[in-house]
Amino acid sequence: MQVRLFALLQDRAGWSARELPLPADSCLSALDVWNRLNLGPWSASLRVAINQNLVEPQQRVHPGDELAFLPPFTGG
Amino acid sequence: MHLRIALPDQPFHPFGCLERWHRHLHDQGHSGSAAEALFIGRVRGEAADGSDLEALELEHYPGMTERSLEQLAQACGGRYQARSCLIQHRVGRVLPGEPIVLVAIGADRRGPAQRCCQELLEALKHEAPFWKREWHVDGSSTWITGNTPL
Repeated sequence: MQVRLFALLQDRAGWSARELPLPADSCLSALDVWNRLNLGPWSASLRVAINQNLVEPQQRVHPGDELAFLPPFTGG
Repeated sequence: MHLRIALPDQPFHPFGCLERWHRHLHDQGHSGSAAEALFIGRVRGEAADGSDLEALELEHYPGMTERSLEQLAQACGGRYQARSCLIQHRVGRVLPGEPIVLVAIGADRRGPAQRCCQELLEALKHEAPFWKREWHVDGSSTWITGNTPL
């Protein structure tokens, strides 16, 4: 599985993408992955995308997924 | 609805884009809309803290951003029966005074065109994965964490 960080999160962590081995029978959620990566306390303002679709942080991740943690959007 | 989404990483001229868009619609057999609402957003010369702004940097999530914009435009355009929709949004480094976003909505009446344009603009500000970073004149930078008031 690939984990991607954007904007402020990328600067804080010092990396933008990382491969994370995930057993086929893993029951980890996106939030579990966040906690394992020591990225700090979870904030309700953050959003999660799996394979570029917004999902709830409790959504389960699978091997091969692209998991992204997204700070609040500020376009336009 | 005719839809075009572009995320240029170089400065663009809104009225040149509109002219090309109208020509494209004409070439596609589009008869032209009786009402068209436009929004052009430009980068302010001031940072959020009131200091002079050197530049704004726009980061996006390639692939997801384009798809999000398309979904937002289709949903919003469908609600207002828009006939055409152009979204042009800068990515990369944008200087004060340069255009950052252009939204053009064609519809049969001014009401739906204007409402659709405003609603789509608000949607793309809050629902499409873009992030702004302010670059200050001293070389430091700050990620923006919220949108400016309406």
